Amino acid sequence: MITFWRIFAASWKHVFRNAWIGLATIFVFMMALFSVNVLLGVNAMLDQTLKILEDRIDVTVSFTTTAPVAVVNQARFYLASLPQVSEVTQLSADEVLQRFRDTHKAESKVLGALEELNGNPLGAQITVKAKNPEDYPFIIKAIQNPQYAEFINPPVYDDHQIAIARVQEIGRSTRIVGAILVALFALFGLLIAFNAIRVAVYTQREEIAIMRLVGASSFYIRAPFILEGLWLTLIALIFSGLAIYGAVLWLEPALSPLFEGAGAGLSGFFIGQAPLIIAVEGGSLIILVMMVSWVAVGRYIKR
Amino acid sequence: MIQLEHVSKIYAPSTAALQDVSLRIAAGDFVSIVGQSGAGKTTLAKMLMAEEQPTEGRVIIGGWDITRIRSYEIPQLRRQLGVIFQDYKLLLKKTVYENISFALEVAGAPRKRIRDVVPQVIRMVGLEGKDHRFPQQLSGGEQQRVVVARALVHRPKILLADEPTGNLDTHNTRDIMDLLLKINHFGTTVILVTHNREVVNALRRRVITLKDGTVVSDQSEGKYTLPV
Repeated sequence: MITFWRIFAASWKHVFRNAWIGLATIFVFMMALFSVNVLLGVNAMLDQTLKILEDRIDVTVSFTTTAPVAVVNQARFYLASLPQVSEVTQLSADEVLQRFRDTHKAESKVLGALEELNGNPLGAQITVKAKNPEDYPFIIKAIQNPQYAEFINPPVYDDHQIAIARVQEIGRSTRIVGAILVALFALFGLLIAFNAIRVAVYTQREEIAIMRLVGASSFYIRAPFILEGLWLTLIALIFSGLAIYGAVLWLEPALSPLFEGAGAGLSGFFIGQAPLIIAVEGGSLIILVMMVSWVAVGRYIKR
Repeated sequence: MIQLEHVSKIYAPSTAALQDVSLRIAAGDFVSIVGQSGAGKTTLAKMLMAEEQPTEGRVIIGGWDITRIRSYEIPQLRRQLGVIFQDYKLLLKKTVYENISFALEVAGAPRKRIRDVVPQVIRMVGLEGKDHRFPQQLSGGEQQRVVVARALVHRPKILLADEPTGNLDTHNTRDIMDLLLKINHFGTTVILVTHNREVVNALRRRVITLKDGTVVSDQSEGKYTLPV
């Protein structure tokens, strides 16, 4: 017990007596954590952008003026029953006409032409939102059901298919590039942390040799260095966490206008995923630091 | 009792630091091992503290054959051996008191024993009042006294001093040698590795002379006979 207490006390003495090396190591760890988290943040913002884009996508099914209300209602129920569909909105022919008038209220020629038509030239509309953009092709195919096909204006489908395919492609590419960049930065971060620990141990190599000469066991020499690495990592994690939290709180409202008031997605990601982020980043850094400390000290205590 | 039986040490590819060295050092002896640079003195000292292993032969300390000592047994050996170096080898970030107590702490000594023993050895080497100073705040002679104190806290049966006066002036050299004689007087075997002619001649104790890795003379009240 007394040995464990001595090791614990020695590890904190190492931290304070090697304060400058410790500060440099903490700084390097923080840089490594920052670089990974900046990319995670960028990735979260890309996700949010895609989500906004995906939310904008919908399929509007325009019915002919001859379509009976019962058929429109039936089509709405049918679409709503599909597991791929998240939301279905139905507009009657009159509502569609009113909306058209509202949209073109400044265009007197358009409104004049509408009056000359003598009656409502527009049919009812159903707007469908899918749960995933990948589901739109299926939904479009579903509405082409022969039961409704003769009452639907066809050109709408192709326009949406192109837009949907484009957004899906952008989403796939950004997610792949983002994942690769995060992996690369995580690797660089770990390499930087690995070297910081090796340098810290190297500067204390003579001390390690002296400890060995006066009869310290390998464990007694190694343990304070490993614990010292652990304390430095925890300090770096706490400061990084606070700095990232502050940055997120500041950036989220600042970036919100760019996302049309929907939020940049940073706070949702970092606060919502905090336990996972801390566990993965902190856990891997702690394991790496402990392993590197063990190996680096071992070089100087061979005999 | 320290025993070396036909000990050789060959460094790759073919440099012989020691060749067929056999000697016995009885408990309580004060032995000077002398020789010029490269004679094999330091290699011999390193073998006694298991920092080097012989290529051939056997090294036995107090009945313990340390020739092929395992890595985890080395701390046990070193806790029974006091070692003094020319370059002090003090932990610069620890105070005098901490440097000395560290040797006891690593052996798991209880706090009470440390509180009792450390002030005693500090008094013994004449460093009272300087126990909270760091090594760099001490003179060379004082630093060497800290090393002696550190070597003594375990009450070792053997004290191995490798060029302990190499960095000291005449006054401090005499003080350190007086200290070693005092320690020997209380029954500790002292092995002094040196090439300081005046020190060896003033001692009038056993002298083992090494040359090119072999023992060329072993005199019970010897003198430094090598040319300058």
